Amino acid sequence: MRRAFGSVLAVDDISLVARPGEVTALVGPNGAGKTTLLLMLATLLVPDHGTIRIEGFDPVTQPAEVRARIGWMPDGFGTWDALTVREVLHTIGAAYRMGPAEARARTEAVLELLHLGDLADRRARVLSRGQKQRLGLARALLHDPSVLLLDEPASGLDPRSRIELRDVLRTMAADGKTVLVSSHILTELQEVADRAVIVARGRTTQDQTLDATELATTVGTWRITSLDADRLRQWLGERHVPWRAELAAVVVQVGGEEQAARLLADLVADGIRVIAFAPSHGALEAAYLAATEDRQ
Amino acid sequence: MSLHGIRTVAALELRQRARTSRWPVVLLLWFLLVAGVTSLSYAALNNASVKAGPTLYDVTTFLVLGLSMLVVPSLTATSVNGDREAGVLATLQTTLLTPADIIVGKLVSSWVIALVFLAVSSPFLLWAWVAGGIGIGQVVGSLLVLAFVLAVTCAIGLAFSTLTARTVASAVLTYLAIATLVFGTVIVFLLSFFLVQSREQVRYYGIPDSFWAAQTKNDDGSISPDSVIPTVADCRHLTREETVIHTERIWWLLPMNPFVVVADAAPGRTAPGPTAYSGVQPMRAISIGARSARAGADGRERQECDFGGGGGPAALPPLQSGPIYPYGLVFYLALGAGATWLAIRRTRTPVTRLPNGTRIA
Repeated sequence: MRRAFGSVLAVDDISLVARPGEVTALVGPNGAGKTTLLLMLATLLVPDHGTIRIEGFDPVTQPAEVRARIGWMPDGFGTWDALTVREVLHTIGAAYRMGPAEARARTEAVLELLHLGDLADRRARVLSRGQKQRLGLARALLHDPSVLLLDEPASGLDPRSRIELRDVLRTMAADGKTVLVSSHILTELQEVADRAVIVARGRTTQDQTLDATELATTVGTWRITSLDADRLRQWLGERHVPWRAELAAVVVQVGGEEQAARLLADLVADGIRVIAFAPSHGALEAAYLAATEDRQ
Repeated sequence: MSLHGIRTVAALELRQRARTSRWPVVLLLWFLLVAGVTSLSYAALNNASVKAGPTLYDVTTFLVLGLSMLVVPSLTATSVNGDREAGVLATLQTTLLTPADIIVGKLVSSWVIALVFLAVSSPFLLWAWVAGGIGIGQVVGSLLVLAFVLAVTCAIGLAFSTLTARTVASAVLTYLAIATLVFGTVIVFLLSFFLVQSREQVRYYGIPDSFWAAQTKNDDGSISPDSVIPTVADCRHLTREETVIHTERIWWLLPMNPFVVVADAAPGRTAPGPTAYSGVQPMRAISIGARSARAGADGRERQECDFGGGGGPAALPPLQSGPIYPYGLVFYLALGAGATWLAIRRTRTPVTRLPNGTRIA
């Protein structure tokens, strides 16, 4: 797909497939074209080249069919300030041609799901940023869409809401819905996403699966902290393991989880008191850094 | 477009407006303003011999229309681009609401507010009606025309709000457009006189120049007053060259003016009252003026022999054409429909081209 705004090429060449039952992460630096891509998926923008199919429908020629199926949560959206949370959702229900009773029932269900019950009768104006984000998600979920397009849903959320968001997304995927979520917060995405599509400068640079087997076999960077720092370095030097110091810790390259476990066992066996032993980057983070390296 | 969709958008808009603005204060000010002007007119004009009813009706309608032309454009002039700026338009566009639902819904809601203003001023129109001379059917009829003109005003603002990215720009353009209709039509009409004027021979029935020439003059050339009492017997059927303005060629500018449309449909023109231009009857004066403009150059013989109760034929009333407001209604219907169509077209998604500086969401 390609989309330009005048001379600014926002989306140059992005292709991706998001499958039902999976959470697909859309990752990329600022200005990579994520939001533009989501606008095209949300039936608001026509791509210059390329095609989009959402459950078999083309957002350009069959927007109504697509709109009935997608729930879109924009990045940095506004809301009708004067309305209460409940009224906002009732209005959205009506906009999706629900009857009043159905709209009320769905509103209560979504309020319950996103823990917005306490705020239901507050005006949207007084909500905090994180609360507004939750209202935005509630709006996207109201008509029970089968495809969710979420643009930075976690920004502004408190830690608890983030964890709840993760659970909501996982539940949606488990129900067979297609979830496409863009974010900057890689560690979060790592926990929630099945696959990650990394975009940079309007191009897909990598489309990778984030499953356990892949993590287990990739060479990764691990960070070791020990009470016996000097002995640890000596120990590594004796065994010709390349290492570098990072503050009090030591960073080594290890080929997969199996090897990491063996290394830890050996260290402990030799009486080195290890207090922290963890991958220094998530797999997603590593891939992201690799994909966007040319930016620096 | 569906009734359900329009109602959803209209209800949303009305609910927001009801909560965000100080309507009670604004309406109270409006009420006091109309009340003040109407009461003053009544006090100034009502006396035993002349019923103030038609005048009151005229003054109030004129005032209400004038104030509406100031207030109503602001209801819609920033409607669509304001929503876009606040990031709430896309929220509606991605639902099953069609662009027509959104635009017509917004139009209906702003019209309802305009009608509230009209309703607040209606006690005074009723008062005028009670004070005399005007049938309720005429009042209702002219109110309908007024309400219709307000709806078109709303539509114009709405169209501009879809045309520009900045709310300030659309507000300015809307007021310019309204000013063009209110003042521009009249100014262009008056300035085009020179295009349609010509020197022509006109017939008149009056005192010939020879009558004055025959009078004995004072030393300074003025006529001694004692001798100048022409009588009907001195009048002749004559011609002279005059500048004639053929307004029948440019009258069509007038029904584009909202005041002309409302005035021409107003009951004041038919109500019993003083003579054509006497009293303060702005609507009546506008209506008579516009109809005589359409009737154009008066080919009838000028009656200039009616002096001093001498018994000559009275001066003719201005030449009148048929009603002008139906032309105005057609023009406004086309304008309103065109503006609404444009606004709908401009809110259609997905879009291929974004105007500079706009955001979708």
